[in-house]
Parts: sequence; structure tokens; C-alpha cells
Amino acid sequence: MEAVIDTPPTAPLAAPDGGEQAIDLRAEFTESGLARVLDELDTDLVGLVPVKQRLREIGALLLVDRARARFGLQAVSPTLHMSFTGNPGTGKTTVALRMAEILHRLGYVRKGHLVTVTRDDLVGQYIGHTAPKTKEVLKRAMGGVLFIDEAYYLYRPENERDYGQEAIEILLQVMENQRDDLVVILAGYADRMERFFTANPGFRSRVAHHIDFPDYTGGELEAIGARILDGMNYRLSPAAEEAFHRYVELRMAQPHFANGRSVRNALDRARLRQANRLFASERPVTAGDLTTIEAEDILASRVFSGGIDSYPPLPAR
Amino acid sequence: MRITQGAFSFLPDLDDGQITRQVQYCIDKGWAVNIEFTDDPHPRNTYWEMWGMPMFDVPDAAGVMFELNACRKAHAGRNYIRVSAFDSTHTWESLRLSFITDRPADEPGFALDRQEVDGRSIRYTTRAYAADRPEGARY
Amino acid sequence: MNAIDKTTSADAPRSRYSAGVMEYRKMGYWQPDYEPKDTDVIALFRVTPQDGVDPIEASAAVAGESSTATWTVVWTDRLTACDKYRAKCYRVDPVPNSPGSWFAYIAYDLDLFEPGSIANLSASIIGNVFGFKPLKALRLEDMRLPVAYVKTFDGPATGIVVERERLDKFGRPLLGATVKPKLGLSGRNYGRVVYEALKGGLDFTKDDENINSQPFMHWRDRFLYCMEAVNKAQASTGEVKGTYLNITAGTMEDMYERAEFAKQLGSSIVMIDLIIGYTAIQSMAKWARRNDMILHLHRAGHSTYTRQKTHGVSFRVIAKWMRLAGVDHIHAGTVVGKLEGDPHTTKGYYDICREDYVPQNLAHGVFFDQDWASTRKLMPVASGGIHAGQMHQLIDLLGEDVVLQFGGGTIGHPMGIQAGATANRVALEAMILARNEGRDIVVEGPDILQDAARHCLPLRQALDTWKDVTFNYSSTDTPDFVPQATAAE
Repeated sequence: MEAVIDTPPTAPLAAPDGGEQAIDLRAEFTESGLARVLDELDTDLVGLVPVKQRLREIGALLLVDRARARFGLQAVSPTLHMSFTGNPGTGKTTVALRMAEILHRLGYVRKGHLVTVTRDDLVGQYIGHTAPKTKEVLKRAMGGVLFIDEAYYLYRPENERDYGQEAIEILLQVMENQRDDLVVILAGYADRMERFFTANPGFRSRVAHHIDFPDYTGGELEAIGARILDGMNYRLSPAAEEAFHRYVELRMAQPHFANGRSVRNALDRARLRQANRLFASERPVTAGDLTTIEAEDILASRVFSGGIDSYPPLPAR
Repeated sequence: MRITQGAFSFLPDLDDGQITRQVQYCIDKGWAVNIEFTDDPHPRNTYWEMWGMPMFDVPDAAGVMFELNACRKAHAGRNYIRVSAFDSTHTWESLRLSFITDRPADEPGFALDRQEVDGRSIRYTTRAYAADRPEGARY
Repeated sequence: MNAIDKTTSADAPRSRYSAGVMEYRKMGYWQPDYEPKDTDVIALFRVTPQDGVDPIEASAAVAGESSTATWTVVWTDRLTACDKYRAKCYRVDPVPNSPGSWFAYIAYDLDLFEPGSIANLSASIIGNVFGFKPLKALRLEDMRLPVAYVKTFDGPATGIVVERERLDKFGRPLLGATVKPKLGLSGRNYGRVVYEALKGGLDFTKDDENINSQPFMHWRDRFLYCMEAVNKAQASTGEVKGTYLNITAGTMEDMYERAEFAKQLGSSIVMIDLIIGYTAIQSMAKWARRNDMILHLHRAGHSTYTRQKTHGVSFRVIAKWMRLAGVDHIHAGTVVGKLEGDPHTTKGYYDICREDYVPQNLAHGVFFDQDWASTRKLMPVASGGIHAGQMHQLIDLLGEDVVLQFGGGTIGHPMGIQAGATANRVALEAMILARNEGRDIVVEGPDILQDAARHCLPLRQALDTWKDVTFNYSSTDTPDFVPQATAAE
């Protein structure tokens, strides 16, 4: 069977003195760099407490698996394919990047790069087009992690000749036979993903880890906004902070709300308004002027007049 | 006889682990790896059939091995298969490594035809015994 | 350190050109403030003046004697744009650890040289000046050839890349052997050696430098038997093979005749000796380019002027001239073999042959940045006293774009020539395979060879036969700057 490891990460341990050999898991945790990646995840990402908890659990499991393999207790490479479910902007891609790094540090993928695709990258337009496209993506992703966003679009039950089915079959085959070469993460809305797994049990049986990404709270979104601005050398004036707080409350209740992504878009538009305001003022500007977003830059948003603050307009789903 | 084209023909046939390591060496150098096959191994047959295009954006040898295995499924046993690596660096822009990974079980080799001309001069022609049969039915 | 004299030729023209004898430095051949132009040819000489001769004056004299000067002032200078044509010595440095010798940097205007002519270049730079009495010794160490001048030459007819494409051999050094004994084999016996060596696994065999057309073997016999051997070996291996047919002869007419016959017989490569002269070399390069032929150059005779450090011409200059002249192969040293070759100096030669841009590297004896402006690459050949047991050192020192020639190391194998060739080929392939897998071949080399010998008896015997053979003599032509030294900029 292909999934059998022929060369374990290191040769099985035999205690030289006949006594019990021991592995210090805590030391492995630090030496593998896993500790650092998880700590970075904690400090770099706002919120996502259950996600971070799941990542620690998976990390521990893999670390133990690795130790077991070294005692010759593990014969089959673990299934590492995952599903990340949650609403848009909840950090799935960001966490996937970190996951690729974790798997790389533990030696479960060789390169640790992340290839992000959607249905259009995998499925072709005509007969004979899909297999080469899917294989092309798989080849690029091998040695790393393949992240399929909105994976359920691969499956279109309403069209029985949909080329998506061909991509699914190739994917399933590689996910089963080349577990050492590739980890697949399927991502999307929780409810649609659930329906997708129900219709395609082959995927469900090959996915070992399900991670649910909750929506951010208002406070977390404000913290995310503060970090984004800080990273670009901007800050909110006290009045603007107040306005931003109200903005987030209103926006969260609106349709097409995309968590962190909506916050980033809102701040991009605020920067645009700030620039226009400074330009129109026709007076010399100070460094303070250039870094400060004022309340008016936020309050000009359509959100406050009941509209959806979206530019360019979101495409209809 | 054993055709000795390619970089490693004097060694025992490479196993998949060895092929993978050579492929990864090429990828790490930034070269695009290509798979080709033929049933006409004449030393001047430059253009073997391409199994797809050179793989320009594959960072791990597993991607190349995936294609090599597909090519083997279609052609092994009846064809020679080789792996080559292209380097696009200015003033090189050609192959950097090329080696045979698969060969037919039986290699009948070549005849050397001599045509006596102009006194002691001889015109030489190298002809693969297998090439007497039509393409696709040679091995 | 010498006291650098700032006196230049700023004197008024009338006094500069009044009849009589004048110091070279005062005639404008010493210009310490001169900044070489991008189009200038620059030569670096090692100048050893006679006792009592000032180094600046000696260096200015070298500039003068290698360009416009004669021993006395001539009024006819004033009919020319003589300031332009005068070579300008602009820098004189003491040679490190070598009292009494000086490095003189001299710039020559591009107009001093005929485009595309090594004969003209060398007649200027090394023409008269090497016999100049006020000098004890003189050596041309290096030259910076401006792109404007490089582009007037065709360069190698084939070059490394196209040679590899023609031979369909990539990723490993090529293997060759010189047929031995050098002299006395009949054509029929000679072809036997060629066939055995090629069938055993070599890519090339080679005539030696003094195999031309002697009583024991006329050249046509050699060509006919050799091509039978090449074609037979090619059919029995399915691999492209070749033999360097030496076309060196007493006249150009003879050389052309031999070259044409080699082409007619289907040879992919011919060979010439350095002693045929620069013009003959350029002519044969032109012929090779017109006839899709690889041109091998045996550097016969070079050691008469390249080997001694104080006098003559450095081989790195010869290598540059030969890349311009258009040969495809040049013998450039082995480091570990029986012939002269300091590792750093040799590395410098190899860079000059193979790189498109060679940066200054004093530790390798390379004094100038050299831009080859896409001139084709010249394949270096390592030949003389090397054997399979040194494979790891050879690949580590010389890289993969090189022809490794094992003459005695093939033909002297106890099981015969085919076995000798196979031993070399297996050692080579095993070493390249291991290197590509990331193994440290310098350290693990002997183990890698032993492993490979397990499935190859001929290699086993080769390793046993030559295990202790080395040529450990110190080189005479070594760099003046130790590797740690930083460039004096």
C-alpha cells in the first residue's frame, strides 16, 4: 500500500543499554519550532480562541505520532487533510499558512508552501480540460498544502455532466495515495461544507481534522482594525475611535459582512477619504495630519445612512 | 546491449528514491524538469516525444514523480523514458541534466551500415534494429 | 613603496618634441591621473627593472615601447593625434613579497588595434618590449579586454552549450583519453585504442600534440581508421562519440586539406596545436564555424613562456586570447595531475574560459573585471596524470563543464582499455549522482568510489592500481595575493 511509510523520520529507537528509551516531548516541542509558531499565532492573530486551541491539539497529536513512529509504533502515515469552516474573513487562509508551517516543521510536508485555489483553478471549460488543470495544481502543491476555498463549488449536483466531478475524483485519488506528498485543506461556509461532505462521503472519510472558525466579536474586530492601521502607520483620533466602534456595530448586522476583510476594506476607504480631506484643505500638512484618521473619515460611510459600505460592490453570490 | 545515453547509464538503474533526489536537485537549481519518451533511441534522435510540458512551477519532486508515474503507466516497457532539466539562465538557455529512467526490457541495439565510396572512404549509417518495425510496435 | 612621481607630459609641445633623448615618463607614457576609458584595452605587466632603473621610468618605457615610442623623439609624432595613441601607464604598485618587481597598469586606446586580430593585439602588447634592455624581466599578467573590442571577434565556433547539445550529453564532465603511446602506432593499431576506449564509456579520444603525419602513420590512415572506430563505438553504445583528429601541419594548405577530409568522414571535432600560431588558429576557428565543427586546442608549447613567474605571458592571457580567437576546447590544467597548476590560479583560468562575466579576484590571479558580452564559453580540458581515484577532487575543483582526459588512466588499466574507460565513466557518474544528492564529495569521495566499485570490477581494479599516485610538487606560477587579501581598491 502506498501510504505505508518506508522510511520513518528517523530509525526506530532501540535503547542501547536494554532499558527504556525516552523522548522528551517538551524539548521536541521547542526544538521543532512548533512552540514558536504557535506563540506567534497567539500574538499575531486576534481572537480565534477555539481555533488556536485546535491547532495546539493537532500539533500535540502530530508530535506524539512522530515520537510513536520513532519507537516503531506507527506504521501508517497519518491522514492530515482538514476542513476549515467559517464565514468569510475569519482568518482561514491566514491559519492555513501557519498550518503549512507547522506541518513543515514537524516534517509532515517537505516544502511547507501553500497553494490557494478555487473551483476555477481546478475545473476546465470543455472535455479533456479538467484533468490537466487539476493535475497542474496538484503538482504545484505537492510538498506543501493545497487550500481549496469554497470547495463545495466543485460539486454541482444540478448538472450531472459537470466537469467538477472529474476534479473531485482526481483529488480523492491523490489525497488517498499520496498522503506523504500533499495535505489538502477544504474551506468554506460551515453549512454548505456539511452538505458537500454528505453528498461526497469520500471527502468526509479522508478529512481527519475539522476546524470551525467563529465570527469575530465587535471588540475583536476593533482590535483587528487597530492592528491594521498600526501596521500602516495610521491611527484613529479619539473621536474616530468612537465612530469606528459604531461603524463596526452597524456593519456586523448587515448582509455580506466579511469579518476581518470588511474591517480592512472599511479602513482602506477611510484612508481614501482622509487623503481627499487633506488635499481639499489646501494648507500645509504635518506628520500628525498624515497619520491621523478623523471621525469624519469614518462617518462619511454609507453604513451610517443605512447603505452597505462596499466599494467596489460585492458580486452577487 | 545497453544504450548509454544520459548522465547515469553506467550505473545500475536508478530507483524512485534516487530519481526523486536528482529531480529535487534540478528544481532547487531553478530548472524546469521535463519528461520525454521514445521508441527510436538513435543517438541523433534529438526530439523524443514530450510527456506534457516542462514543469516550470513545481517546487517539490513529488509533482514530477506524479507525472513520471503517469508516463510509465502509458509507455513503460515499450519505450525509453528520460528526465531532462532546462536552465533558462542567460548564456546557457539549454539542458543542464538529462538521464534515462526507464528502458525496454530488451534492447536490440544498432546495426552499422557501411557504404564503400571514393577509394577507401566509407559512409557510415547507424540504424536501430527496432526501428525496422513501425512506431509504437518496436519493443 | 615607491615615491610616485607626479611629473607628466604637461610640458609645452615645443620642448616635448625637440630632437634628442628624453625620459619615457616625460613623453606622456606615465599619467598617474589618467582614468582608463571603458573602451581602453588595459594590460597589467610585472616589471623587473635592471638595478638602478626607476620603476616608474621602466613602466613608462613598457607603455612607450608597446605603443608609439621609439628610443628618441621623432617630429613625425606631431603629424598624428599622438596623445590618443600613446599608451598610458597610470599605476605602478610593488609586487607583494617580491622586492624589485612592480605591477604596471597600462591603458591602450582601442584605435591601436585592428579589430578581430590576435596577431595585431599580441604584436603590440608583447611585440618588441620583452627584449627591452633596461628590464631584467617582464611578464604580461592579465588584460582587460573592453566589450567594444571583444565584439570584434567571433569567439568559439561552438561553445560549451552547443557542444553539449550536439553531443546530447548534459550534467556531467565529458570524458576523454589521449591515445598512447604517442608515437609509433600504425593507423590500424591506433584505431583499436580509439574503439576500445570509446566503447568502454569515454566520449572522446584524442591525438597527441605531435601526432601529425609521420613515417609510421600517415594522416589519412589515422583519420580513416579512427572514424571506423568512432562509428563502430557509436553503434555499439547508442551514444554520440568523437575523436579529436589533429590537423596540425606544416602549411595552412595542408591543414585545410586535413580538416576537409575529417569533415568528409563525418568527424564532429578536429584539433590544432597552439604552436601553429595565432593567425592559423583564427583561420581554423573560422573554418570550424563554417563547417559545424568543434575545434580542440592543445596548448603545446605554452609552458615556454607561461610557467616562470617573472618573465613571459601568463596563461590567463593566453586563455583570453584563445576565447577571442574562437577555439572550443583548451587545456587549462588539472591541479591534481602531473602538470603545473596551482589550484587558485587554475580556478582563475577556468573562470576566464567558462563565465560570461569574470569579476576581479586577486587570489585567483584575476586582476580585472572581464565582461565577455555573451561570447560563447570555452570548454576547459583537464589532462595529464589524472585517474579515477581522484574523481571527487576533480569534480570539486573543476566543476562539470570540463573534459577530463585520462590517458594513462584509461589505457594503462590492468584489464585493458575498455575496462579502463568503464572505470572512469562509472566513477564519474557515481560522483555526479552523489554530488547532486547533496553529499559532501570532498569528504565522502573515497567511500562513494568504493561503493560504486562494488558493482563495477574495472573500477575496483583501477582504484587498487592507482590508489597512491599523486604529483605533489609546488607550483611555480602561484597568485601573488593570498586568498584572504582584499582587493586593493
